Amino acid sequence: MTDEYEHYEAIVVGAGPGGAAAAAALARQGVETLVLERGVDAGSKNVSGGLIYAEESAPYTIDDLFPAFREEAAERPIDEYLIHNIAGDKVKTFDLDRIHHHDTDWCDAVLRRRMDSWLAERVHELTRETGGGLLTEVRVNGLLREDGEIVGVTCDELDPIKADLIVAADGVNSELARDAGLMNWDEPEDWFQGVKAVVEMEPEVIDERFGLDGEPGAAHLFSGDLFETVRGGGFLYTNTDSLSIGTVFHLDSLAAERAEPHELLNALLTHPLLDQWLQGEYEEREYAAKLVPDSKKVAHPSPHQGRLLLVGDAGGQMQAQGPIIKGMNHAVTAGGLAAEAYADAKTRGDPAKAGELYERKLNSEGVMDQLRPSRYRATRAISESGVVTGVGSTLLNSPVGSAGLKALGGVAERAFNSPFLLGMVPDSRMSYVEIPIRIAEVLGEPIEGEGGTIEPPKLADRIGDLTYDVGDPHIELIDDSYAASGTAVTACPVSAEGFGGGCYRDERVKTNGEEKHLVSLDTQPCIECGTCAVVADTHWEHPSGGKGVEYKRG
Amino acid sequence: MVEIDPTDHEIAELGPKVNGIDDADELREMLDLEAAGEDRAPVKTLIESRLEKLEADDEEVDPETVDLTELSIADVANMVRGVDDGDVLRDLLEREKAGENRTGAITQIENRIESVEGTDEGDGEAVEYVPPEEKHPDLDHPTADKQYVEGVSGETYRDMWVYCETQQGELIEVSKEMLGRAREMMDEYNSEDGYGGDEEGNPEDVVAVLIGDGVDELAEEAIAYGADRVVYHNDPRLERFRHKPYTELYVHMCRDFEAEWRDYHEPRYNVFPATNNGRDLSALVQGELDSGLASDCSDLYIDDAMISNPAKTGKPGDSVEFERVLHMPRPDFSGFEYSTILCIDKPHRDFHPQGASVIPGAFEAPDPDPEREGEVVEHDIDLPDEWFQVEIVDHDTLSGGVDLTGREVIVALGRGIGEDPTRGIELGVELVDAFDDADLGLSRGVITASYVFDGHVEDYVTEERQIGESGQAVEPDVYIAAGISGAVQHKVGMDDSEVIIAINEDPDADIRDFSDYYIEGNLFEVLPRLTEAVEQGGSIEAVTGASDD
Repeated sequence: MTDEYEHYEAIVVGAGPGGAAAAAALARQGVETLVLERGVDAGSKNVSGGLIYAEESAPYTIDDLFPAFREEAAERPIDEYLIHNIAGDKVKTFDLDRIHHHDTDWCDAVLRRRMDSWLAERVHELTRETGGGLLTEVRVNGLLREDGEIVGVTCDELDPIKADLIVAADGVNSELARDAGLMNWDEPEDWFQGVKAVVEMEPEVIDERFGLDGEPGAAHLFSGDLFETVRGGGFLYTNTDSLSIGTVFHLDSLAAERAEPHELLNALLTHPLLDQWLQGEYEEREYAAKLVPDSKKVAHPSPHQGRLLLVGDAGGQMQAQGPIIKGMNHAVTAGGLAAEAYADAKTRGDPAKAGELYERKLNSEGVMDQLRPSRYRATRAISESGVVTGVGSTLLNSPVGSAGLKALGGVAERAFNSPFLLGMVPDSRMSYVEIPIRIAEVLGEPIEGEGGTIEPPKLADRIGDLTYDVGDPHIELIDDSYAASGTAVTACPVSAEGFGGGCYRDERVKTNGEEKHLVSLDTQPCIECGTCAVVADTHWEHPSGGKGVEYKRG
Repeated sequence: MVEIDPTDHEIAELGPKVNGIDDADELREMLDLEAAGEDRAPVKTLIESRLEKLEADDEEVDPETVDLTELSIADVANMVRGVDDGDVLRDLLEREKAGENRTGAITQIENRIESVEGTDEGDGEAVEYVPPEEKHPDLDHPTADKQYVEGVSGETYRDMWVYCETQQGELIEVSKEMLGRAREMMDEYNSEDGYGGDEEGNPEDVVAVLIGDGVDELAEEAIAYGADRVVYHNDPRLERFRHKPYTELYVHMCRDFEAEWRDYHEPRYNVFPATNNGRDLSALVQGELDSGLASDCSDLYIDDAMISNPAKTGKPGDSVEFERVLHMPRPDFSGFEYSTILCIDKPHRDFHPQGASVIPGAFEAPDPDPEREGEVVEHDIDLPDEWFQVEIVDHDTLSGGVDLTGREVIVALGRGIGEDPTRGIELGVELVDAFDDADLGLSRGVITASYVFDGHVEDYVTEERQIGESGQAVEPDVYIAAGISGAVQHKVGMDDSEVIIAINEDPDADIRDFSDYYIEGNLFEVLPRLTEAVEQGGSIEAVTGASDD
C-alpha cells in the first residue's frame, strides 16, 4: 500500500530561513521540492532576536539566494554595535564595532513574520517551477520509515509523503530530529531561552533618540547585574517603526534560580539605562519567546541520518558566544549546503550520500568550527569548574583585580571584540555576570536618567494580546508533581508563580487529609517555545497545522 | 390640491411618502410644484421614478387580448414567461402568425408551449435502452447482487415515512420537527389544491418508524406530532443504534413488510434526521433501496418539476413535467449557496423512495395534539444473529449540555476557590440556588486545574461551564465573578453582562477595571453572605443593593 503514497524528490519541513534557503537552492538545481510549513503563514511561528548577518566567508547568504531580500524583507541595516556593562547605576559601554564587522558583509534587523512570509512567496514561486510548492498549515509530525529506513514524512493533515531527500528545517523543537534520535531535550545547560518584546516607536522618534540618521540602525547589548545572578544578557535592536528588546538566558541558570523570564525582561525594560530611549513611553506590540540551542554543546557534528538532513536550529546550529549571536545566517548556509550536497550526491549517482557530503561541507566551509569552536571544548572543563570560578571571583573583587581591570580597560574592550577569545568564553556566572559588573563598577560612569521609567504590561495582558487556538492539548504533563515539573511554573515564559492564567500553575491539592504539591497545565496560552519539554516531565509536540500561537511580528 | 407639497419637506422624509402615492396625476402635480419651487434634482428623480413605476404597472398586459403588433419580441418573451395555459399560448401563436409573423416571437411562444406541455414529437430520437449488464459486461456491479437496480419502473409508491430517532427512551427534538413538517406536506398533498391524494385519489399517510427497545411507548406521541401510522420494532438488542440491524429492519419495513394497510412497493418519500445516527442510517437505507439521498436538507416541499434532461425524460429535446417531486434544498459551500436536489425516476429505473435527511432545527416542532388518532403497527420478524456481530462493549453518556446563555444571573468561579475547591463550588451552587433563574459558570483556570473535587460537586466541573474565549459567551443581567482575576480571555465571554459584580481578594485584579461593583474579600466569606442577602431580599436588586455600599 505504501507505494500509493505521494512522492516528491525533496521535502523541506519548515519555511524559516534554513528551509527557504534549502528549498530555493534545490529548486535552482531543478529538484522537485515540496515545502511544508505548519503556521498559517510562514513566519507566524518564528521568533528571533532580530539580526541577520551575511558573512563574507559564507558560501551562501540570504541575499545571494533571494536577491531583493534586504529591500523587501528586512527592517534596516545595523551599523552600530555596543555592549553596556551594568552594575547598579553605573554603566560602562564598550563599542563592539570590530566584532560586529568581523567577516560581516552586511547585517540587518528583521522581524520574522514579514521576513519569512516574503521568503515563502519566493520559495513558492521557485519550487512550483519544479512541480512542487509550499503548503502552509501542514504539520509534519514524524518520519515515515520502511524496513527501518527513513523514506518520507508523516503529517497531521495529509497522508504520508515519500521523498529522496528530507530537509528538517523545523526549528529548535524539531520533531523530526527527535524522531530520528539526533536531538533531545534532556539538558537545560544545552539551551538558552530568549524572550522579546516588539515595542512600537515612530521612525523619526527612533532616529532622534538613538542619534540615527535614516537608514543604518543600532544594536545594544546589556550585561551585568540587572538580572541579579541569572546568567544571560539583554539586547535592543532598532527596526523601522519599532524596537526589538529582549533578554536571553542560559536555561539551566534560569531554571536553577527559579527566575521568571517576563520579570527579567521587565528588569531590562525598566532599567534607568533604557530611559534615554523609551522616555516613559512604552507600547508593546508583541511578547514572544523561544528556545535557542547552544551550538557549542548541541550543534550536531553529524546532522543527518539516511535521507534526513538537519538544517538550522533543528540541528542546533545557533552560535551564541558572548556578544556574537548568529543563527539565521548559519541556517541559510546549512540550507544551501544541504541542497548542494544532494545535487552533488545525485550527480555522483548516489543520492543516499547526501548526508555524508552535507556533513563534509559543513566542516570544509568552516560552519562547524564557528558553531563548535575546538577552543571552547579544550578550555571548558577548566573554566566552568567551580574552583576556577571561585578563584576568578576572588581575583576580580580584590583590589589587585580592579586595579588590573582599570589598567586593562582597553584590553577588556579588545577582548570582547575578539572572535577567538569569545569562542572560549566559559558559560559561568563569572563571564556573564561578575566580569561585566566589575567592569561597570570600576570603569563605569553613573547613568543619567532621562524621562520616566516605563511600566511594562502584566503577563496576563501580554498573553491576552496573542491569539490562541490550540485545539487538543499538544503537551501532555507526564509527571504532575511539583518536584518533577514545578520548574516549568517559573521557567515557562507565559507562566508565573502565583499566576493562574498561564500554562503551568502551582497548586496544592488536599486529598484524604494529605496535601500534594502539584502543577497543572493548560496549553491554551502556550507559545510553543519548548522550555517545559526541557525543564518538566512532558510529552511535547507542536499543535497541528494552523493551530496554536500566531506571531504577527516575530 | 396635492396632499403633500414636496417643497415643504426634506428629501429624506419624501422617499416613503412619494412611494405611497398611487395617483399619477397627483405625482405629476407634485413634480410641477417642485420644479417651480426648490427644483431639487433628487426630489424630481424620486417622483419621476415613482411615476414610471405606476405607468409600467398600468401597462400590465392581458395575453388573451393584447395587440401583439404593439409588443417588441422582448416584451413577448417577458409576457409568455408568466403564461402557463397552453391554449392561451396557442392562441397567441396563431395571432402572431396572422399578424407580423416574427420568427423571434414565434420561437419564444413555441418554446413556452414546449416547456409547459412538453413535446410529443421531439427533435431527437428516444434514447435506446441498454440494460447495464449488456452495457458494462466487464463489471459485476451494478446487477450481480442488487436485484432492485433497474427495471422496477412503474411500481406503486405511497406515503411519507419518517424515521423517528430516539435517545434514552425519548423522541429527540428533530423527530418531532420532521413529523410536523411531514404532516404539513402531506395535508397539502392530499388536499384539492395539491394532488388530492395518490394517483387514484386516496389520501397518503405520514408513517413514523420507531426502532429500538420499548419504543412502542412512543407511538402515541409520534401520532400526536402528526403521524397517521406508526411502525415499530422492539428488541432489547436494539437499545442502542447499530448500523446493521437498524438498516436491515428499516429496509425490510419499506420493501418486504406485508401488512394489511400497505399494498405498495416502497415508500414514496423517506425522511431522516441529519443527526450522527440519522446520517448513517439514511445513507445505508437509501443505498440499500437503490435510490438517492439529499443529505442535510434545510427545507422540504412537494411540487411539480419540469425536466428536460434526456436521462430522465428518455428523449433529447423533450421536456416532461414530473409530479409529486420532493424538493430538497440544502446548503452548499458552507451555506454560501443553496441547491435544491430532486430525485426523479428514469425511464427504466425508479428512484424511490425519494430520500432526505433534515438538519435538526430546520423546522419548528408543532404543538402535539393528544386527540389525534392513528394506527400503531408492530413489525415483528426474527432478527438473525449475524446482524449483531458488532458488539457494543462500552458507552458513555455525554451530559445534556449546559447552556449558560439566557440566564438572568451567572455565578462564575475562578481560581480563588483553590484553597478549598469543593467548598468553593458548594458556595457557588448555593448562591445559584438562591436565585430564580441562575446557573454556575467557571473560568478556564478552574477547569484545567489539578483540583480534586468531592463526588457531589464533581459534575459541575466540566468544560461546558467554561466562560470566555474558548467557552461560552454570556450576557446575563447580573454576572457575579468570584475569585476570577479577569484575564482578557475571560473578559470576552462576559463583558456584555448588564451588571458585573467582582469578588476578589486582590484589589489590583484586572476584573475590577470592568466591574460595576467590586467586593474586596475572600469568596469563602463573601459568597455565604451574598447568598443570605439574596435569600432574604429574594431578588437581584437585593444583591446590587447590598453591594452598592
